[in-house]
This record gives sequence, structure tokens and C-alpha cells, in this order.
Amino acid sequence: MKEWYAAFRQGLSIENPLTVLMIGLCATLAVSTQVQNAVFMGFAVVFVLTMSNVIVSAFRRQIPTEVRIPIFIVVIASFVTIVDLSMNAFVPGIYQVLGIWIPLIVVNCVILGRAEAFAYHNRVSLSIADGLGMGIGYWSVIVLLAALRELFGTGRIVWFDTALVQLPSGYQPPGLLLLFPGAFLVFGFMIAGSRWANEKLEARKEARACRP
Amino acid sequence: MPKSFRLVLSVLVTCVIAATGLALTYGATAPRIEEQKRLAEQRSLEAVMPGATFETAGEADPLVAAAETAAAPVDFVALYRAFSDGQQVGWALRLASRGYAGPMQLVIGLDTSGSVTGVSILSMNETPGLGTKVKSEAWFIEQAGELQPGFTDADVRGTMDAISGATRSSNGVRNGVAAAGRIYLEVLAGEEGEAR
Repeated sequence: MKEWYAAFRQGLSIENPLTVLMIGLCATLAVSTQVQNAVFMGFAVVFVLTMSNVIVSAFRRQIPTEVRIPIFIVVIASFVTIVDLSMNAFVPGIYQVLGIWIPLIVVNCVILGRAEAFAYHNRVSLSIADGLGMGIGYWSVIVLLAALRELFGTGRIVWFDTALVQLPSGYQPPGLLLLFPGAFLVFGFMIAGSRWANEKLEARKEARACRP
Repeated sequence: MPKSFRLVLSVLVTCVIAATGLALTYGATAPRIEEQKRLAEQRSLEAVMPGATFETAGEADPLVAAAETAAAPVDFVALYRAFSDGQQVGWALRLASRGYAGPMQLVIGLDTSGSVTGVSILSMNETPGLGTKVKSEAWFIEQAGELQPGFTDADVRGTMDAISGATRSSNGVRNGVAAAGRIYLEVLAGEEGEAR
């Protein structure tokens, strides 16, 4: 159980796929203009990541090393297509907006990276922990990024046509935040923030270890 | 068993299983996806001309070919005749106009005199929160209603103000409305018929 929790926690902080490993950024920066979209994009990634980890891990002894990458890609692509079709059928509004980014989860390095680096060498239960941890790590960063960009870029956060948060009307939102340069700026600050927090944590851990 | 055979077999088995899974998912979702598409189109038609019933003009209809020519550079998708109590009350056009990020699917309603009864954006890939203002800021699209019958491209530019910060998305809609005006003047005017 302790091992499981350790694998789960990796993705949330010290090995967060976005702020630390910095993989899979392309889709993240592109869809993080609205909280609503980011939430569903995050769910799609959590689902695909966990499911592909499970399958890769369960069949890791049967998958020959020489052809593992094509097999991973087929597995990942299948789950992505399942998500793609289901979203199209059940949440067409969101599917409309996410468009090309859902199929592109196939080539999202987070998922192939975890299949290769973790699931292929670990047992199923740990691979689930890794998938969920990495997935939730991804989800929280993309949603936070989207929340900051939407709030300060448009002056409000909208969830299915209802405004959740509204800044005072005197605020003139800079449209730059919604464009790509804005994404890099906000994301840069988030990386700085997470580095700072991780260093604080480390320092506290060391201080505790040094105490007699 | 030679090693290469084992490699080929493992990839093959993976692909077969994946394909089966996908075929099942597709079979389960396809009717729903079709239904959603039809509903979205129906809602858009209903929005541009409330209360009317619509009849799609088929490929063979001479008006379709003529409308395609008149619409250029905007892409023509479909033409509908709108009826109310068996009388034709107007037309609806579905056009694909280039916005900032790819084509925007527009449904534009015209009455028999050539005035715009409504514009509805069926789908677009514009930047959320910026380009999507063409839909969320209702005043922008409502400007199309102020166009006089027989309007031209210049009238559209003069009547419809663009949204600042979303100029190219606004232009996508304006070009679509202008194309609808051209189609009316060159093709549709005086072509109303009875319901079949």
C-alpha cells in the first residue's frame, strides 16, 4: 500500500508531467483557454493514461521488446478513439471545441512516456497508481492554467454558459493571455511556483532529517 | 518458431483486438453521433427562422450549382427551402466561411425579400474566449438583421461592426453573410416555389 501511494504521489508533485517533466505541453497550452475544455481534456488524458498503463502492464511479459513501441501506440490509439467517439456522442459541445486535440492525445508524450518508462516494467496495481497520479497531476495543472488564463484573459470563468466567477467590470482583460504567448507566460510562472514549493518541501525534509 | 514470426504475430494480434474493440465502440456510438449532428443542424435552422419547416435542396437542383458559384470564395454546403403553411417564406443557407482557425459553419436565414432573418454559428474552431465572442456577444450577429433587402458586400462591411480583438473571426461571419447576399441576388431571388 505504501508502495502504491508512493507511485501515485510521484505524478502529483516531484514528477508532475507538465511542470517538472514538461512533456505533452503542446495540447496543454492549446486547450487551456477555458476551464470547461481543460476539465474534459484532463479527464480524457486520465482515462487514456490509466487504461493504456493497465493494458501495457498486464501484457508486459507477452510484448516483445523489439516491437513494444508500435504495440503501445496501437493500444493508446484505440483508447483515444474510444474517448473521441464517446465524447462526440455524449458531449458534442465540448467535442466541438476540443476538436483535433483529442485525437492528438495519441502522440501525447505523457502517455507513451509512462507506458515505456513505468507500465512496461511494473505490475498492474502500481501502473494504475502511476496512471492515476500522472493523470491527476496533468489534470490539476491544465485546469489551474486554464482558470488563470480564462479569469484574467476574459474577466470571468464560464461553465456551460453560466459565469462562475466574475471580475469587476472595470477590469480590462488583456486578450494576449488567451493567445499562445500568454499561455507560455502563465505556464512559466506556474513552473516557478511549483519549483519554489518543491524546494521548500525538500528543505523542510532535510531540516527534519538533520535534527538529532 | 523463428523470432521474426513471433514479432509479426504479436503486433498482428494487438491490431486485431484493437480493431474489434473500435468496431464495437463505433457501432454503439454511430447512431447517437448522427442524431446529435442532425439535432444541431435542426436547432440552427430553427434559430434562424422560427416556426418554419425546412426542405433540403438536393444535389440535382440547379439552384445548388449556381449557389456554389455565387458563394465563392466562401464554401457552399447546403440550401434549404423554408415553408410555413405550405407557402415558401424564405431560404436557409449553410456555408463554411474561413475564420481565424479554420472554417466556421454558418446557417443563414433569408426571407423571400432577401433580408437576413437570422445567423447561427453551427460550429467553429475559433480561440475560446476571444474568437468565440462572435457567438457569445449577441449584438454582433444581430447586426445582420439591420441589412436592407438586396444588400451587397459593401453593405455588410458598412453595417456589421467587427468585434475588437476578434477581427478575423468577425470577418469570417461577415464574409458568410456577404456570400448569402450574393447568392440571393444572383440565384435565389424570385425562385420561390410551392411545398412539395
